[in-house]
Amino acid sequence: MRLSVKSFLCSLCLGTLAVARLSEEFNEELHLRPLPDGKLAARFSFSTLLKGATPRHPETLGVEDESQLYTLFPLALGQILREYAVTELHLTLNAGNWNYDRWGYPDEPGVGTGAELWAWMGEGGTVTVDSRWRGLRNALAGLFCASLGSLDEQRTTSPVLTFQPEGSLPNGNASYQLRHATLPSEHVCTENLTPFLKLLPCKSLSGIASLLNPHKLFDADWHGLGVHVRYLESAGVEVRLAFQAVFDPVRAASDKRRDWSLSAVFDRRIERVCPVARSSVIRVRLPQNEVYAIIPSPSTMDKTYATYIVQEVGKPLDVAIIRPEETLFEYLIEPQTHISVHRTLNGASQHAGQLALTITNNHDIQLQTGYLETMPWLLQFYLHTLHAHIDGMPRDDLVKLISYIPPLPHVQPALLQAVLTLPPKTTLWLTMDVVKPFLAYTEHPPDAQRGWDLPPAVFVPFASQNGSETDSDPQLHAVLSDVRSTRMYTPVLLVDLATPDFSMPYNVIIMSCTLIALIFGMVFNLLTRQFVVVRVGEQSS
Amino acid sequence: MDAVSKPALAFESAFTRRSIIASYFLVIFLALPLWWKTTSIERQALPVSRVYAATGRELAFPIHVALDTRNCEVGTDTIVQEVRHHVENNGEFKQNGLSVEVSSATATANDYQVVLRPGTRDPIVDGRKVTVEVAPEHAGVAALQLADTLATLLTPYTSLRSSQAERVVTYSPRYRLAFTLLNEDAAAGNAALSWDVQNALAAQLSPLLERLSVLHNFTIESQVQYHGPLAFEPRALQVGEQIEHGLTPGDLTVFVNSAEWTLSSSVSNDPVLHFVAFIPSSKHSPLRIVDSNGLPTSSNAFILPQWGGIIIHNPQSTGIVPTLAGRPLDTIFATFRQQLSALLGVPELPPHVHARTRGVAGVTDWQLDALVRRRAAENAASAQDTLQSIVRLVAQIEDMPVGEDVKGDVQDALAALDQAYSTAPSSSTEALTFASKAQSVASRAFFNPGMLALLYFPTEHKWAVYAPLFASVTAPLLASLIREVLAWKKERKAKARGPQPVDSQRPKAE
Amino acid sequence: MDFIVTFPALVAGRLVLALSPLTHYLRDDHLLSSPLTSYSRLQEGIYLFKHGIDPYSGSTFRHSPLLLSLFSTVIPLNEVTAAFLWTASDALAAWSLVRIWRARQNVSSSSRDSLIAGLYLLNPYTFLPSLGQSTSSFENALCLLSLMLACQKQASASLLALAFLIQLSLPSILLLLPLLLLLISEPTSHLASPFFFKTDIRRITPLAGQFAAYILLLSGAATLVCGNLNWVEKTWGASLTLPDLTPNPGLWWYFFTEMFDHFRPFFLIVFSVHLLIYVLPLCIKFQHDILYACYLLLGILSIFKAYPTLSDPGLFLSMLSLFPETFPYLHHPIVTALLHLHAALLLPLFHYLWLNQGTGNANFFYASTLVFGMANGAALLDSIWAGLRIAIGEVKEEHEVLQE
Repeated sequence: MRLSVKSFLCSLCLGTLAVARLSEEFNEELHLRPLPDGKLAARFSFSTLLKGATPRHPETLGVEDESQLYTLFPLALGQILREYAVTELHLTLNAGNWNYDRWGYPDEPGVGTGAELWAWMGEGGTVTVDSRWRGLRNALAGLFCASLGSLDEQRTTSPVLTFQPEGSLPNGNASYQLRHATLPSEHVCTENLTPFLKLLPCKSLSGIASLLNPHKLFDADWHGLGVHVRYLESAGVEVRLAFQAVFDPVRAASDKRRDWSLSAVFDRRIERVCPVARSSVIRVRLPQNEVYAIIPSPSTMDKTYATYIVQEVGKPLDVAIIRPEETLFEYLIEPQTHISVHRTLNGASQHAGQLALTITNNHDIQLQTGYLETMPWLLQFYLHTLHAHIDGMPRDDLVKLISYIPPLPHVQPALLQAVLTLPPKTTLWLTMDVVKPFLAYTEHPPDAQRGWDLPPAVFVPFASQNGSETDSDPQLHAVLSDVRSTRMYTPVLLVDLATPDFSMPYNVIIMSCTLIALIFGMVFNLLTRQFVVVRVGEQSS
Repeated sequence: MDAVSKPALAFESAFTRRSIIASYFLVIFLALPLWWKTTSIERQALPVSRVYAATGRELAFPIHVALDTRNCEVGTDTIVQEVRHHVENNGEFKQNGLSVEVSSATATANDYQVVLRPGTRDPIVDGRKVTVEVAPEHAGVAALQLADTLATLLTPYTSLRSSQAERVVTYSPRYRLAFTLLNEDAAAGNAALSWDVQNALAAQLSPLLERLSVLHNFTIESQVQYHGPLAFEPRALQVGEQIEHGLTPGDLTVFVNSAEWTLSSSVSNDPVLHFVAFIPSSKHSPLRIVDSNGLPTSSNAFILPQWGGIIIHNPQSTGIVPTLAGRPLDTIFATFRQQLSALLGVPELPPHVHARTRGVAGVTDWQLDALVRRRAAENAASAQDTLQSIVRLVAQIEDMPVGEDVKGDVQDALAALDQAYSTAPSSSTEALTFASKAQSVASRAFFNPGMLALLYFPTEHKWAVYAPLFASVTAPLLASLIREVLAWKKERKAKARGPQPVDSQRPKAE
Repeated sequence: MDFIVTFPALVAGRLVLALSPLTHYLRDDHLLSSPLTSYSRLQEGIYLFKHGIDPYSGSTFRHSPLLLSLFSTVIPLNEVTAAFLWTASDALAAWSLVRIWRARQNVSSSSRDSLIAGLYLLNPYTFLPSLGQSTSSFENALCLLSLMLACQKQASASLLALAFLIQLSLPSILLLLPLLLLLISEPTSHLASPFFFKTDIRRITPLAGQFAAYILLLSGAATLVCGNLNWVEKTWGASLTLPDLTPNPGLWWYFFTEMFDHFRPFFLIVFSVHLLIYVLPLCIKFQHDILYACYLLLGILSIFKAYPTLSDPGLFLSMLSLFPETFPYLHHPIVTALLHLHAALLLPLFHYLWLNQGTGNANFFYASTLVFGMANGAALLDSIWAGLRIAIGEVKEEHEVLQE
């Protein structure tokens, strides 16, 4: 034990020395915050910065690439980024529906159910953006053991309004393209977490990452992992691996109280630091207007946050919040976001239906929201039936269609981008008729009766432009500055398509062909044979 | 039943009937090309005879050896004669496709030069020149000794042990070299947080890679890992006062913990060679390799055949090293260099032969030439095999589509192979280039995905799909055709018998 | 009753129905409108076109560009105009049918006029699709108009109508040859007295040339409307490649739903060529009465075309009223009628059970389409039989006419 403490101290001083010299930098952070419904949101963020690096230019794809010599940067990911000359990349794999009304905005905006991948890539060179996108999908599928390979052209769109680059794009004059695809039926599991952890310098063996215990993570009400690569002009290429989960301390606790601790939530404590982490921070959002105790004493603390610098506090570290006066927690729910969105697919018929959305503005000011649907051709819109209502009154003027790319079976999905105007404190009803196509029997999946998952719609609320009156009101101003382009994902939909009988191919061939041959043969006979008049009756035979 | 006569009807005339039948066949006839186009499987003819003609052909490399006997008392002509004689009797040259020609002419740049000198020292290699010293008392067997030395230098692979041969990786025009600094457990102390890989590569590896660039291109990548646990527990050894830890030969084969170590990704198809510097955790430090008797050996590195090399680095002092650099790193990379050349099949010099300078990255011209010749022969043989497999497979499976691209690839491979054969006498490097091209093109043809299209749809099913419609549709068509032909023949016979009144109707059975 | 009275009455009745809310329920019925004729898809195409999106870049819209330009510029398409338009198209069709009848009888009016118009306007197979605002009603009207004009020897107008029809529906090209022959022969009934084709067959060449010019003209106009050639693949191509497997009362959709991918192109060719194979034999056999050959070809189309709706057999059955002379010679009219009744009950029932109720499966509906195919086949075969048999005329008692 004494030895380990000594080596730890040694590692600490030497570690900081070493890290200072590197051209790579690794920071880890855990953000814990209580949610209004008693749950606990945890967000792990591990970012590695490759200082001074630039993304590969697509025109250099044909020539010998520079050697990739990395220390902290994950080599497996770096290879993929350079092989396909990807400038910015975002991959999220989530399970469950993020409940905006109860939980508010997530720390990581990408919370759409299933897999979502989007990338900005430069144009030029001999290899097209589309073929690099295909390669990128397959490479990431291999890296994360996810079926990202099926994010094919039938699911790929380019919704540039909603998915703006989060970093910078080098050489402002060169043109860049966005590719975006979602696969709502993909479920994140241990098999995806293991390769995710392998990309971390300290894996899940030391530092904050050691809290990533699959048993607890996958038991959470909501969980998702994300890989975000972006280029920052002033810094370099940054890879950020994020894991986000919503835990329910009330469910886990026998006494139905909200008290939590790291060991209760993750079933682990932080035993030792990651030697290469430049910073390693746990930030805990403190309960407001409540009596609570937080142990151990944090490194720094203000009204809203308690911060632990993992290297500085004693180990094993087990942060806990206790509310001694609370006996039973009761829910207090009011919408936590500026707008609330619900999307349903109505109609029992297997060949038509209606897509219905209700969008509620929870504020006293008029808001606008971008509305994005990337719909596979398994559901085809009748755009002429897109209508908006408020309290039963048609208000089509509130919908402004930005762009629409119709779907092409087996080729491309539909892309619908619109801007909706939401009057204060009202609910907008949006309806649109849809048709469901009929698939050949070879196109159905093995469990055809289950139906097909449809990707979430994305909403980006933003403040209305006519803001002359809002300038005067400081409260509204605060709201507006808060309404930043955060993407909100609706839950996914399940559509059931009519199925043929899968045992019928030969029967159908035989029966249809027989009918055709019968009519053909009889027509042929009628046209080529001759009439005879015969005597029938007693004389014959 | 009796038939009764009825009026002759215009639409029952033989002409009407025949034109109706003809119009059916006309449409079918016109549709035939479409039919053909939608049902035929594209099967391009492969150059089968050329593929089989290439069987057994080997690359021939003529070798010129210039014998320099000026410093020797032995008569030049006699010794040339004798060496020739011995070389001809030595089968190894022929096996490797070498036709060695020994002469006393002055050597040109590409010729091998043998300088015979009195003396007792071991042969010394310098460029394509070897200086052989012959003791005066052994002058009688000088020619034999010379021939043997030539054999070991020119065909070093025949004497290779199988274990050495097996670890050589299969040829690829490009390799990825992945260097990993692997700390068993950095958080528990005894670790290196980074390494000065750039300088070490430049100092130790670049000359070798440059030297081998006639054979391969290399992509270099490196990473540092901080947690690379072993999948097994090394055995503890008591060495004097200290506890050491040992890896048995059995442990070495399972040393790589591919479940926990993130060593490679499948981002490209180029084969990867891994080089791992393993720093054991303080718990397992120092870690030694032991022999089968459990005794520590002096070596701390080993090669995993076809995979790469591993070196176990026990730092002088325990604790965290911020950056591994300088001498320890140079030693590690020097070992990596030896492992790389062993993996790539660079032959070792015979033990009794010395190189004058190790300046050219430790690889003499003799070694490099032998390697190039061997790789060329290997690729040519492999391309031949692949081509034959394609031809056999296509002949075996009748429904296998053979597209234009497959045919083109096979032709390209044959052309490249031919070029390899024709350039071999003048330049073994060029022969290698062509042979390697032939091999890669041939295997691309072999793995062409278009050839698999119909592999799983048996012919019987086809009939089950076609029969219901076509059997029942063609039957009345053919029957009427036959009937018409018979009626027409009868008519002609009747006409031949004698002029009869023209009756457009067929005779009726009254 | 007088035709002057009954016809407007019938049309007015149809108009009242068309203005009723019934149309909403029938609009998306797979029996009444196919993806090529659906009103909703037409609306969608017009909407996209008006919003500057190429409607042919998607797969929803498969109507002719001519309809697109008509409704996006000349006539706005809404509930009221649609009711009037479809009623007008039905009225035009019925009126053309009456005019064909008159031309065939070579009279200026007859007592059967009202009956014939009623048989078209009240035929459920034609008026239901029309209430469902399927553009197949336009196809029927154009087809009858073209035949009527051909009977009246107005060659150019007739060929132009046919060219319009082919713009809407490619399989109708089958009618080209009989229509050309009709233009150079008589529409009057000669079924009972067959003869060899009298007119010089080469007279159709200039007519064919004229037709080609119309087709080129209309295609050019369509291309101008769209700005590219996408419409060819999306409208005409659909009849040949069956990209949309939406169920319909025909034989193609389930066959190609279940077909193995490898055989799909081959059977698509076979099914298309199969349609063509009937043209020449029927024209040769009925060279003495080409109008009858046209009628039979419409029967063939109603069974075998790629995207049939109920209005295709409806047209065929309504035209039966033009040939009352064949009625005594029909073999099995009762069987045919019962088969049709059976199919007409089964088709909507099984469609509902499969797609709405979820209690049936695709085979139910497929089986009823087979029954429907048999019913149409029976009607077609009986019509061919009767059209030939009439030439022999009455036979003595205890005698029977057979085909050897």
